[in-house]
Amino acid sequence: MHIVLIDDDSTSIFLMRLLLQREEFADTITAFQSPEEALSFLQNVEAEKIPQVILLDLNMPVMSGWDLLDALTLKGNTQLNHCRIYILTSSLAQADRIRAEENPLVTRLIHKPLDKLELAVIKAETKGDFESYN
Amino acid sequence: MQDDSQLVEEEQRFRSLFDNNPDSVLFQNEQSTILDANPASLELLNRRKEEILGRPLSDFLPPDKAVLFQQKLEEAFTGHKVQFEVEVHFLGTPAPKVLDIIKVPLWVDGHVAGVHMVGRDITAITASRSLVLEQAKKLNTIFESITDAFFLLDKEWKFTAVNSEVERLLNISRQELLGRSIREVFVSEITGQFYRQYRQAMLTGEAVHFEAFFEPRQMWLEVKAFPSEEGLSVYFSDVTDKVKAHEELYRQNKDLQQFAYVVSHNFRAPLTNMLGLVELLTSMDKQQPQYDELLQHLRRSTEQLDIVMRDMNTILTIRDQRDVAQPEQVPLAEVVEQVLENLQEMLQQCGAEVKLAIPAELRVRGNRAYLYSIFFNLVSNAIKYRSAERPLLVEISATKDMSASEAVIIVRDNGIGFDLKRAGTDVFKLYKRFHSQPAGRGLGLYLVKNHVDAMRGRIEVQSEVNAGTRFTLYLS
Repeated sequence: MHIVLIDDDSTSIFLMRLLLQREEFADTITAFQSPEEALSFLQNVEAEKIPQVILLDLNMPVMSGWDLLDALTLKGNTQLNHCRIYILTSSLAQADRIRAEENPLVTRLIHKPLDKLELAVIKAETKGDFESYN
Repeated sequence: MQDDSQLVEEEQRFRSLFDNNPDSVLFQNEQSTILDANPASLELLNRRKEEILGRPLSDFLPPDKAVLFQQKLEEAFTGHKVQFEVEVHFLGTPAPKVLDIIKVPLWVDGHVAGVHMVGRDITAITASRSLVLEQAKKLNTIFESITDAFFLLDKEWKFTAVNSEVERLLNISRQELLGRSIREVFVSEITGQFYRQYRQAMLTGEAVHFEAFFEPRQMWLEVKAFPSEEGLSVYFSDVTDKVKAHEELYRQNKDLQQFAYVVSHNFRAPLTNMLGLVELLTSMDKQQPQYDELLQHLRRSTEQLDIVMRDMNTILTIRDQRDVAQPEQVPLAEVVEQVLENLQEMLQQCGAEVKLAIPAELRVRGNRAYLYSIFFNLVSNAIKYRSAERPLLVEISATKDMSASEAVIIVRDNGIGFDLKRAGTDVFKLYKRFHSQPAGRGLGLYLVKNHVDAMRGRIEVQSEVNAGTRFTLYLS
């Protein structure tokens, strides 16, 4: 399992990484504090390094989570077809939830902080993917 | 015989004219003695014929009028026809009369033998005329006493009455309006709301009440128009201040909503971190290597929360002071030099060059603390977002046209700039950031904008990635 974290806040990254490690969620964790770098990684990623799960923050300077999703849609990245993108945000705004539901790339919006229970659900969802995929 | 009968006939014709004349006719000699009087004049004087014949007219006049009648008689005896209007209360009559009098000299053998006085009773006409005048005056008093502007339009859309409030509000004299069509006076408004509403009132016969912007005078007007048989009565008043106050309240309310949204979001970001960190800490052994790191992150998140709290306090304090702070004439160069002095160390460390072009005598109307904060934030940003590829150059210039009465201040740097198209309308918004490195809070430009607004100025920004940023301030 490969998971990508995109969040400009170092504490958030630290926290997610720690939780993922404790729950033994993934073999590989790749974290980006810059959404631009994350975008370029995702656009040029080799097939075997394609993540199964992306946790994406919304509120970031220069390029927001929404901007990143738009950029991914525009390029028509087919290699991300089997990757689940979760928005992980501290925003409680209803507008963000609606927008997340409308975006076909997004599986779900999750409110921070991420916890064990939420990770278990994500795991179950991705496992389902694998089974139907294989 | 022929001559005689002709004479008799003429005499009879004259007699008939004299006796049946509805106007009073008296014949007087030079001494003012009444020699003849027709029935209408007897009625006017309320006398019998024998009572007045052979007596001077002055016997029947109040003393003040006797002089006037004597004067006019003498004038007529010089050979001129004399006409005058007079209100006179003949002695022994029940009421004063208003008379239109003509004194006509009678010429006999080259000299004036006597004067015919013809008096027409115009009492009733005068009374109704003055009634009309009085009513017009009353109406005018009413028009002028109401505080609303008021005008009347007839069915042809022509102004038939206008009060002075109309002249004042529309800055147009009544001579320019009366008798002219509203469609011809306000041609540009013909497609606008005013005419449309008036038309509706005229067509439906129902009153209209509306508020609309009157372009030629840049004014909001509240209008009530009442149709009638005559046309349309229109009352209106200037409600620009009221409308502006409404708009301002609406804007402030929206601002506060946005503010509450932004604040709640920014409180929640460090708070969610704290929640997650505390959750992990409670289930972790103190001996584990990450424990201390977790504590450090917890401390940092707590501090972040405190910073957001302090920011709120700063912003709210500024908002509170907005209306309290008295504007003064602040010497711009002095304030900017103070800012540069306080930032000197940072400027030196990065090898920056600052070029100043501010006339020493230039003053702007505003608040010294706001101006300090504006330049402090702008120059700090220039330092923070300088380019690594070239030494920082900050240029601050100001000009103030005598005519424009507005100071134009430019703060320009050659830093990394930002993508203005992407930033869009967010440049001056709270907690909006346009660079990932170095870290910023997104407060500086929000404060700058707030200060500029509070001083009733404007700020514009131009920026180009990797070339620099230019702020233009307009202050009065």
